[in-house]
Amino acid sequence: MTDSNVTLRVEKVTKRFGEFTAVDDLSFNVRAGRVFGFLGPNGAGKTTTIRMIVGITAPDKGSIELFGKRMSPALQDRIGYLPEERGLYKKLKIVDQLKYFAALKNVPAAEADKRIDFWLDRMNLGEWKTKKTTDLSKGMQQKVQFISTILHDPDLLILDEPFSGLDPVNVEFMIDVLSEFKSQEKTIIFSTHLMETAERLCHDILLINKSRMVLSGSLREVKEGFGKNLIALRMTGGDDILQDRSLVANTIKHADEMEVRLAGDADPQSLLKRLIEAGAVISKFEQIEPSLNDIFIEKVSG
Amino acid sequence: MRKFFAVVKHEYKRVVLKWSFLIGTLLLPLLAACFAVIPAVIFSIKGDPTRIAIVDPAGRIGSRLRENLSAERMSERAKKAAEESFGNMDASQQERMKQSSKQFTDSFVFVDYPYDPDKAAGLRDDLSNKILNDEIEAYLIIPPDIYAANAVFEFRSRKAGDFITNDSFKEALNNAVRSQRLADANISEARLEELSADVELDAKGVNELGEEKDSGGVMAASFIIGLMIYITLAIYGQAIMGAVVEEKETRIAEILFSSARPFELMMGKLVGVGLAGLTQLGIWIASAAVLVGFLAASLDAADIVSSIPSITPLMILYFLIFFLLGFFIYASIFALIGSMVTTMQEGGQFAFPPIMILLVGFYFSFAVVRDPGSALSFWVSIAPFFAPITMPVRILSETPPFWQIALAIFVNAVTIAGLVWLASRVYRIGMLMYGKRATLPELWKWIRQS
Repeated sequence: MTDSNVTLRVEKVTKRFGEFTAVDDLSFNVRAGRVFGFLGPNGAGKTTTIRMIVGITAPDKGSIELFGKRMSPALQDRIGYLPEERGLYKKLKIVDQLKYFAALKNVPAAEADKRIDFWLDRMNLGEWKTKKTTDLSKGMQQKVQFISTILHDPDLLILDEPFSGLDPVNVEFMIDVLSEFKSQEKTIIFSTHLMETAERLCHDILLINKSRMVLSGSLREVKEGFGKNLIALRMTGGDDILQDRSLVANTIKHADEMEVRLAGDADPQSLLKRLIEAGAVISKFEQIEPSLNDIFIEKVSG
Repeated sequence: MRKFFAVVKHEYKRVVLKWSFLIGTLLLPLLAACFAVIPAVIFSIKGDPTRIAIVDPAGRIGSRLRENLSAERMSERAKKAAEESFGNMDASQQERMKQSSKQFTDSFVFVDYPYDPDKAAGLRDDLSNKILNDEIEAYLIIPPDIYAANAVFEFRSRKAGDFITNDSFKEALNNAVRSQRLADANISEARLEELSADVELDAKGVNELGEEKDSGGVMAASFIIGLMIYITLAIYGQAIMGAVVEEKETRIAEILFSSARPFELMMGKLVGVGLAGLTQLGIWIASAAVLVGFLAASLDAADIVSSIPSITPLMILYFLIFFLLGFFIYASIFALIGSMVTTMQEGGQFAFPPIMILLVGFYFSFAVVRDPGSALSFWVSIAPFFAPITMPVRILSETPPFWQIALAIFVNAVTIAGLVWLASRVYRIGMLMYGKRATLPELWKWIRQS
């Protein structure tokens, strides 16, 4: 991987708060023009890592490189950060808030005005321009916050739970906007609990748990690494076979079928053979890819 | 630097464009103007003249009284009295006197009522009837013998509550009777004046440079300056705390910190709000200057204006410098508090200690006014936390040598540097700590962390 390919390089980064190690020896790269899913349960160290990337705090050990340079305040202008816990000034007009946030990212005033009008119209918020935050619904505030994140046309977008509080229509709309960014060769780091969304949007993922990296790679690689031992099964009879722990690790019952996870070195062929021998009537036997949700649950609880 | 100015501009506009600022800034001068101008306007509205009948059996007092109540004599005497007792009168008393004499002019119409000894018994009934029939408003019966022990001047008026008229009437009557007594004793009024002239007590303060200074308005002016600085520091300090708490409460801090350095953000906030404070003080000072000018012109009494202690442009510069010193001291304390608490209510509890310190400084200013040269005045006008209030008061009541002013500025500037350093360390960590208020040991840890 060459430097021009890599937007963000996190190398052996450790961050401690007193006795507590929030991020432990974490290394990963984010490639340019990709959507990078940064996943992990609450308290895994995601927010701490993101804060180090955007330059709010500095790592105790290790280094963070952005666009091939060591992280510095000047680079902050090229990042758009939408924190998970975010807000707006309660009593300030929407347009004034956006102007202020743009000024803090060094966007010239005239340019900022143009972009604010463009994005407010685009988000159907044109008539709310001179209203105060308290007049807006939660979803509208969310969209205003999103505008403030992209006003300075950042090269790296870091979104922490960007869809929480949005209705499905607006989620689709935001995904559309994000795909424009993707097509402009901009990099997006996307942190979320919603595995379905992550699965839909992300090229690469990184899963961390308890301050450490658990899993990383492209979505394809990750899934393939897990994909050999999961079977969707619909049948009548043969239930005894599924109790054989040398063959089946566990089963999850869905409405009209079940998901069977094979034990360690068992292979699907022998399971199928045993079921047929036991006289089960099989209407569906399909080797399936695990969902990101399955992977997440297995890795985090395991 | 551009981001710093963006923060300054944002904070300045946020304070200045608020209604409370506009009201506070404009209301105070307006109130002051009202207190100065409205009484003058009201007192200048003339009532209807009082028709009065004077019954003077002896025929000795009536004509003197009429003369005393004439327009020329009234204004002449008021002017003389004002000149004589000027030192003991404040502006409002003087104003009242001037207005009353003005109003008195032409406020009496004398109704002839020839005295008829035959009808002496029904005299009072007759006069009362005239009042009831609206022919006259008042009457005065002068006793036949003004030297008699039981001599009573009977004054009956429908307008008994008109204190200005009654006062002046009583004075005019007294003077008339006195003149008559003097004439009876063969003493001229001029001679009496010579005999009863007041001694002249020349009471003026002397400062260290040996210059004389009028002590009259100094006390009041020092008090006003001290109070003004105390109030503005308390208000703007808490405004800073409110702004900091809002950014923490709404989690805007996280976005801000990902865009600019915490130190830039905090200093921008302090400077922006400080400039707003200067704007307000500037408007107040300018309107005070206009008001004094107006008073001087409208009363054509340069004397009143001269009783206001002379405030030089240098003094105003000092006031502004000390206001700024005080502002940065208290604003950085309030910024520190704002970033360690989670809500405004919690902040309110912690705001108590700095407000107390501020209040103590304000109380010290009384000691400074009473004796600006004392050792206590010296120390409190240089000490950090107190000097921003006490030094301006001291400068006004008795300007200390320049080295003391410079020392106070230096000591407080160093204090600011220390406080800003502390506050910025607490700020950069505290602003991202949600959930619970920081304890003192935690605070200490944040300060020690690089």
